[in-house]
Amino acid sequence: MKHAFAFVLYTCCCLVLLQCQQSQTALKTGSKEAIVRYASGFSIQTGNQYSLVTVRNPWPKATQTYTYVFAKKNAVVPDSLNRFPLIRVPVKRVVATSTTHLPSLDLLGESNSLVGFPNLNYISSPNIRTRIEQGKVAELGNNQQMNTELLLNLRPDVIIGYGIDNKNTGLDLLQKSGLAVVFNGDWNEQSPLGKAEWIKFFGVLYSKEVEAEKQFNQIEKAYLATVELAKKATKKPTVLSGAMYQDQWYLPQGESWAAQFIAAAGGTYLWKDSPGSGSLALPFEAVFEKAAQADFWIGPAQFTSYQELTQSSSHYSQFKAYQQRKIATFSTKKGKTGGILYYELAPNRPDLVLQDLVKILHPELLPHYQLYFFAPLR
Amino acid sequence: MSFSPKHITYFALLFILVGLLFCADLSMGAVAIPGEAVWQALTGSSQNSSWDYIVLAYRLPKAITALFVGMGLSVSGLLMQTLFRNPLAGPYVLGLSSGSSLGVAVVIMGAAVVPTQLSSILQAPYSIILASCVGSLVVLLAVLVAAQRLKDTMAILVVGLMFGSFSSALVAVLSYFSSAEALQKFTFWSLGSLGNLGWDSIGILGGCVALGLLLSLYTLKALNALLLGENYAKTLGIKFTQTKYILIVATAILAGSITAYVGPIAFIGLAVPHLAKLVFQTSQHQVLFIATILLGAVVLLLCDILTQLPGTSIFLPINAITSIIGAPIVIWLLVKKQRL
Repeated sequence: MKHAFAFVLYTCCCLVLLQCQQSQTALKTGSKEAIVRYASGFSIQTGNQYSLVTVRNPWPKATQTYTYVFAKKNAVVPDSLNRFPLIRVPVKRVVATSTTHLPSLDLLGESNSLVGFPNLNYISSPNIRTRIEQGKVAELGNNQQMNTELLLNLRPDVIIGYGIDNKNTGLDLLQKSGLAVVFNGDWNEQSPLGKAEWIKFFGVLYSKEVEAEKQFNQIEKAYLATVELAKKATKKPTVLSGAMYQDQWYLPQGESWAAQFIAAAGGTYLWKDSPGSGSLALPFEAVFEKAAQADFWIGPAQFTSYQELTQSSSHYSQFKAYQQRKIATFSTKKGKTGGILYYELAPNRPDLVLQDLVKILHPELLPHYQLYFFAPLR
Repeated sequence: MSFSPKHITYFALLFILVGLLFCADLSMGAVAIPGEAVWQALTGSSQNSSWDYIVLAYRLPKAITALFVGMGLSVSGLLMQTLFRNPLAGPYVLGLSSGSSLGVAVVIMGAAVVPTQLSSILQAPYSIILASCVGSLVVLLAVLVAAQRLKDTMAILVVGLMFGSFSSALVAVLSYFSSAEALQKFTFWSLGSLGNLGWDSIGILGGCVALGLLLSLYTLKALNALLLGENYAKTLGIKFTQTKYILIVATAILAGSITAYVGPIAFIGLAVPHLAKLVFQTSQHQVLFIATILLGAVVLLLCDILTQLPGTSIFLPINAITSIIGAPIVIWLLVKKQRL
């Protein structure tokens, strides 16, 4: 009995102590988990003086996580966080490496912070194009091998990079040269809203968390409303996607970002049951047998007209979607210098992508809507 | 010259093998189509329209392309091995394929760099084929000019390899400046593919291969003499310079047109002539010519069948298969016979 009492007392003490310890840490950092609801690739712990951002899956099969400390000017960061790269926010001079990073800058009103980018021609955003014409954004050359000297000379506060696998020799070199590099994994995010949620990552960079939250909530609301709208459709037309290179047909796998949109828009993607979130490479005959009678063909790679399709291969004209002129492409809407708008903006604006697809598959549901990214093939 | 009974038997066997493999190539693919359905599609009495289309408009042109490519590349290899008196010669090793690649790279990726008037010429439908032929012809001529100054055949091969590296470097520079789409298009072209030709293209390819084969047929007798050396051939009354130029043109037409349409296919041009020599045990070019044509067709049809594991969606590029399957066979044969 005595022992039992002692044990209970001991346990209580332990619990109380533990509780104290926890509240103490919380007090010290003043941090709380910020709400990242859809994205699986990053999480944010925000505090008054600094935030911790952990990027989990910057590329497929990433072996480690990347944690960054974003601290306000003059804020004191505890020694325990010394092992993580420290970036002072709000950042003023930014180098981005993918066009998908730019819409967040635009939405947060921070386009002026962009000082360098590889392959400027891919950029479509009118705001940033104006700055390019004014010579305020430096061309950094090829994406995989950015010009190191130019970068060092630019002295950006941060380089927003992305990796495709565990080897990122280019970015590693920049880090060793003393430049701050953060990995952005938006491209490896699979859910439509998850990709868009990466705006919150930029929110932390610019100390505009509230604004980012607000922008995202608007997009989320519009997206979810369109999902509800698409549920009213009575039929679910079959959909084919992609196109051939030589005689291999490349099309999105069943769990991919593109396939999720087709499902949400009330379409039946013919390869919706294929596992994986990358792309499938199928021989022509396999695609032909399954999809010759597909009702719609969405996103035939780089092709912009029916004539281009048949010039490339006469096989294309054998599809029902071709004969009935039911092909929609995102390759015709381009920026001033040829960058395709869809590649830049679509990941950030799933609401617009979904409305486009609903308009294509079920025009009766959105009678007055104008297509934003897509257009019928010419 | 007359063929020995043994050679005639071999020819007959190979001919039957070509027929069998052709049928096999038609009936195997990603979509499992039963044999009788294939036959019905060919005779026009089929009920399933999508199977019909797959057999007639996809598999049949692919099999015919495989025939042409196998024949043409193998013969071009044979011609070059004799012309250079070097068993290592072949369209790939001598840089012909690299020359073609450079031509095609200029057409596909250069369109962005050159002025607009010129780029519209580059984008004309047959420009790729033309560029590829010109590319391979230029490299072949360059190798030949070097060959006249160099008496050592090894040096000639090194020159060929140098031209290959040189054109690869230019391709690398071009690809740095080209758009992602053009680069993608070029990369896929360089992987090689037999299944991308319409009937009109097959007509042109067939015409080019037939022309190349006819031209080489004309040189067969001279080739036998050439094996013994230039001077010896001259004493036999062979017009060496004329023969040489016919050979060059024939080879450039064969290698250039084939590379243009199906991409740079490695290995066939080098290996099939050796296979023919090993199987037929002769250096008579009349025999070797027919043997190379038949064996070339056999090997490429076989490779095409193997690119596609039947009933699955797994599909390997033809360029990989030719080397994976072919190289061990040649090594095995060489080791077994212990000579070239």
